[in-house]
Amino acid sequence: MNASDAASRQDGPSGRWRSSTKRLILVYGAFFVAWTVVLVGAIRWQTANYLDGIVDSILEQRLRYLSSVERTRLPALLAATTQLDLHGLMASGLFDAQGHYVAGDIEHLPEGLAIDGRVHPLPEGVQRISGERAGRMHAVALRLADGAVMLLARDYRVVDQVGEIIRSGLLWALSLTLVPGLLGGYLLSRGPLRRVRAIESAIQPVMRGDLGARLPVSERRDELDMLAAIVNRMLEQVERLLGEVKGVSDSIAHDLRTPLTRLRTQLHRVQQLGSEGDPRSQLVERCIVEADALLDRFRALLRISELEDIGRRAGFAAVDVGDTLRRVHELYAPLAEEKEIAFALEADAVPTLRADGHLLFEAIGNLVDNAIKFAPRGGHVVLRAASEDGRAVIEVLDDGRGIPADERDAVLRRFYRSAASGADDAVGHGLGLPLVAAIARLHGYAFTIADNAPHGTRMRLVCWLVDDGP
Amino acid sequence: MARILTIEDDAVTAREIAAELQAAGNEVDCVGDGRAGLERALAGGYDAITLDRMLPGMDGLEVVSELRRAGVDTPVLMISALSDVDARVRGLRAGGDDYLTKPFAPEEMAARIEVLLRRGAGARETTLRVGDLELDLIARTARRGSVVLDLLPLEFRLLEYLMRHAGQVLTRTMIFEAVWGYHFDPGTNVIDVHIGRLRRKVDAPGFEPLIHTVRGCGYAMRTS
Repeated sequence: MNASDAASRQDGPSGRWRSSTKRLILVYGAFFVAWTVVLVGAIRWQTANYLDGIVDSILEQRLRYLSSVERTRLPALLAATTQLDLHGLMASGLFDAQGHYVAGDIEHLPEGLAIDGRVHPLPEGVQRISGERAGRMHAVALRLADGAVMLLARDYRVVDQVGEIIRSGLLWALSLTLVPGLLGGYLLSRGPLRRVRAIESAIQPVMRGDLGARLPVSERRDELDMLAAIVNRMLEQVERLLGEVKGVSDSIAHDLRTPLTRLRTQLHRVQQLGSEGDPRSQLVERCIVEADALLDRFRALLRISELEDIGRRAGFAAVDVGDTLRRVHELYAPLAEEKEIAFALEADAVPTLRADGHLLFEAIGNLVDNAIKFAPRGGHVVLRAASEDGRAVIEVLDDGRGIPADERDAVLRRFYRSAASGADDAVGHGLGLPLVAAIARLHGYAFTIADNAPHGTRMRLVCWLVDDGP
Repeated sequence: MARILTIEDDAVTAREIAAELQAAGNEVDCVGDGRAGLERALAGGYDAITLDRMLPGMDGLEVVSELRRAGVDTPVLMISALSDVDARVRGLRAGGDDYLTKPFAPEEMAARIEVLLRRGAGARETTLRVGDLELDLIARTARRGSVVLDLLPLEFRLLEYLMRHAGQVLTRTMIFEAVWGYHFDPGTNVIDVHIGRLRRKVDAPGFEPLIHTVRGCGYAMRTS
């Protein structure tokens, strides 16, 4: 088991992953908002343009009418216009040829206004006699036949107000559509996410090696169900193929047991027949040593295969880690002492684990055996357990040569022996760490190999506690 | 001389088991079939039985279950090609007394049979003695002659096991299984190191060595 296995648990639906429905709704919502803003802008612009035209044509019509009436009636007509304009939207003024005030409610001709009979915008508005100053206005000025100037202006605020009403109306409509849309989308996205979580928990046993488990397929028969059905079909194939491969290896292993037993027993008999000092006896003895090494490897190999068979989970129970570590320490302490290695045990208040006690002991024992083997004479080995983020972490540290980073996955493969282990390493058959990896996999624990500071190896088992095991 | 029944379907393995047990001074009968083996075992007269787990005619588990049902308590060493822990547990639950996995070393098999043959002898004693070595199981003390030995709890358990089986060859695996209670290969020379430390305390200079190394096999405690 390597670091990627450990990380995979954090990649669940509750971790980094996001719902695609939620993402689609957010993207759709963003487009909707952008489009509505463009729409509001366009409607407002159109409306303003339209109202502009109306205001301007009113001014022009009124100007045409007033310019056609008798000059003497003009002051009275302007006064009547002002009186009739209850909302004070219109303003007018009559000035003599020199620009002096004659009649109307505008006292001065606005500066810069062209006297050409065409409507122009007056951003600053005009000052009325009453002292009131209107805001934005449109105005038109015309020179009459006697040289006098007639000025008509109309307040433009009404157009702005209409634009404002349109804008706020559309914004209300937008928010009334967007809020239920987002809320509904969020609720909708929760359903698939819940189903993905169900799929995740259903696939956990498969990740631990139980290929007999299948993903749930609901009655809806939608995309998720289609995907689950595809994965289930794939799992069936994988299970069948692995079963066939295992069947073949099991028969090979079984067929080899009897000939190996025969070989070993017959060598033993030959040894007994030989006499002391006979060079042939020494040869036979060397053969027996070789045969025993072969049997050891064969047994270790079979044991790894056996551990990879998920059926061994029956022996799982609550295991006291501290006690297991103390026993491992007790077993290996004399071995460390022989090599003058300081072998420390650090295990305080570690929670109970859900494990096969014998296999856990075997795994930790293998790690310690390995550490003692690779620590230099007079070196240090630490066996420790601690609680970290609700997990029990068991570590074995040594200050040996360490395992190069690019070999850490390889040392978990059967028979791989690190080049860094050197020629002096006569002991070991390259099956210790694969065995630990198999035990870790069986338990669903994460097993990682890292550097120890300043040098050496840090073997780390991250274990489930008794309550939250897979 | 003990009488041993070997129920094993592979003729070569059966012959080698018989040869090894005969070399240790036992009389051995071989049967290659489960049912025939059960009949011979029920007929009685055997001190121990080696029983293959997978046999033609009748499975080894059934043979031992039938034997126990019939009230025959002859010690049975089950020899099996099935190595997994569950198979071992099933074998022992069915009534087997010990379990050995193929491929095995004949010395290991003979040592286990020897332990089974002398099973029960001295089980109720509270003081074990080998030569001038004395182990008081009640007071948890050990002495060699007049010298009191200072033993750690683990060393005491190891010495007790060796003394209970004084005169018998005990393999490293047997010692590990009995003293530590685990069934796997502890690797390297960890058992040798423990025996070495115990030996320095028990067989101090000036005393007759009691812990003997049996080359290529294991250890035995005995007086010369």
